[in-house]
Amino acid sequence: MEYITTIDGKEFQVEIIDKEHVSVNGKIVEVDFESVRSQPIFSLIVDGESYEAYVYEGEDNLEVLIKGRLYNSQVEDERERRLRAAAGSSKAISGTFYLKAPMPGLVVSVLVEEGQEVKEGDVLLILESMKMQNELKSPQDGVVGRIQVSGGDSVEQRQKMLSVE
Amino acid sequence: MFTKVLIANRGEIAVRILRACRELGIKTVAVYSTADRQALHVRYATEAYLLGPAPSSESYLKGDKIIEIALKSGAGAIHPGYGFLAENAAFAQEVEDAGLEFIGPSPFAISSMGDKAIARKIMLEAGVPVVPGTKGTDRFSDEELLKLAPEIGFPLLIKATAGGGGKGMREVKSIEEMPSALNSARGEAMSAFGEDNVYLEKLLLGARHIEIQILADKFGNVIHLNERECSLQRRHQKLLEEAPSPAMTEELRERMGEVAVQAAKAVGYESAGTIECLVDKDKNFYFLEMNTRLQVEHPITELVTGVDIVMEQIRIARGRQLSLAQEDIKINGAAIECRINAEDPHNNFMPSTGHISHAVLPTGPGVRIDTGVYSGTEITPYYDSMISKLIVWGENRAQAILRMRRALAEYRVVGVRTNIPFHQTMMDSHRFLGGRYDTRFVEEEFDMEEISEGKETHLDIAAIIATLVKHEQTERSAHVVRRNARDTSNWKWLSRWERLSK
Repeated sequence: MEYITTIDGKEFQVEIIDKEHVSVNGKIVEVDFESVRSQPIFSLIVDGESYEAYVYEGEDNLEVLIKGRLYNSQVEDERERRLRAAAGSSKAISGTFYLKAPMPGLVVSVLVEEGQEVKEGDVLLILESMKMQNELKSPQDGVVGRIQVSGGDSVEQRQKMLSVE
Repeated sequence: MFTKVLIANRGEIAVRILRACRELGIKTVAVYSTADRQALHVRYATEAYLLGPAPSSESYLKGDKIIEIALKSGAGAIHPGYGFLAENAAFAQEVEDAGLEFIGPSPFAISSMGDKAIARKIMLEAGVPVVPGTKGTDRFSDEELLKLAPEIGFPLLIKATAGGGGKGMREVKSIEEMPSALNSARGEAMSAFGEDNVYLEKLLLGARHIEIQILADKFGNVIHLNERECSLQRRHQKLLEEAPSPAMTEELRERMGEVAVQAAKAVGYESAGTIECLVDKDKNFYFLEMNTRLQVEHPITELVTGVDIVMEQIRIARGRQLSLAQEDIKINGAAIECRINAEDPHNNFMPSTGHISHAVLPTGPGVRIDTGVYSGTEITPYYDSMISKLIVWGENRAQAILRMRRALAEYRVVGVRTNIPFHQTMMDSHRFLGGRYDTRFVEEEFDMEEISEGKETHLDIAAIIATLVKHEQTERSAHVVRRNARDTSNWKWLSRWERLSK
């Protein structure tokens, strides 16, 4: 099975040949890959060298933590890549961004109004959790859509709070 | 003399106090909120009583309920730990009035040190240098403060007299910024402390935050246990502490120690306490505030002096004289503490909540962990994000750093994000290795990516791991589909079941 794997913007052609062999950009290496006690900790031995990693699943990416460094990765097979190519450049047309609570907490204040124009990096809302106030910012330019929370509301993790269109 | 202690706290510090009590053969009473039913402090204590729902205002801050439980269970003393009710003079007074021993200083010492303006006045009168700023304990109006500001000089800090934790604090660079900064500082202080009085203090640039641990008994004996270096902070929250301070000289240590003892005597202090100071580039030091409680970072002092501070607190509360004299206190080696917080250092230190499904703690020579969590613990949004303290000891600072690197690499927490990668990067930073840092270092100069740059990367390894993980996921989902296809049809199952039940 062949994959195109992007790590921090750099592309790798990775082919899974069999259980013990993987080819990276055409170079075949011997691998021994285990998930530790079915936890998201993985142990990999590549040509005798031992590595350990945490793998966190994002919405459409995987984050790999090795030796204190976080690598952002995207893995696609041929079919997915073709689909994405057919859909045109993916990010630009993604459109509406939903601001979801990254953790349960208390909305301290909503700093924007419906219909307001915002720029990438503008603070949209302040969420308090674990006695800390956290600023949640807009990842894109746009116009604030429906606001579903107001100051003082408790929110659950991943609850939709507002949108930027 | 009491033989049972109620611990009015949770998390790692409750466990720490329980351990000291156990070693002394004292029975323990834990109190807990509904969110902490399965917490270690509840399971380790001899007795445990429910306080109320998860929010601290309905549980760990319920002083009257805690005193009631102490009386009912026959505990003779209450240890408040840190945070919650630890520096609440009214609570300390109520404990005393109920005929119980408060393991800490007198209500008078707590309240006079709790008001920053009063504390500054007492220290000045005792001959302790304070950071230049407004004098006296008057309530200054905005107009008066605007007049006083240029005399103190910019940049300066507006601070709430009831302050703490960076709340009600504003940095001001010029007179033009003063009015709005005063307004917001007062507003924040009002909502945090119910009191909007503020004072001004000169902002010292390039200063280090160094504190002196003191111990005092009920007979007026006071000693100090040397310093802790606490300059590595973010949003006024300490992240990493070390003892001794790399910036310390023998002469400065002696002077600061003497002054700290003097400061404690000025308020008739008893129990453990900490004098926090700012030390500038020219080794001038200024009193900042006194913490009238056990500090989070007390273990590093324990490791280099060999004194069990919590046990000493209990002995003092039991009316014993200090067993140590100043000349008994020596510094042996070096210790570092990393506060392990459930925060994502790759995402602006965003707190992370969730279920810790797996935790492997570092062990081995010179490693100590103070923690209240274990595999299976739920990290809730109700309490602060510190999940443990990793403390190491080494024969010298260099060995302690190597040991901390090793211990951080062994530490595994799965289920929540932690700031372990932050500490790992810090252990690689030249500025930290050289001991050349001040209170602004973390916020203004420390950059995780920059420090990691040029270091060996493992892009190809990350690529292999990510691909294998994704490949396994794809295989698994394909497998699920195939297995369903092979399964006996539901119609057959239904007919068999019907025949069975005939």
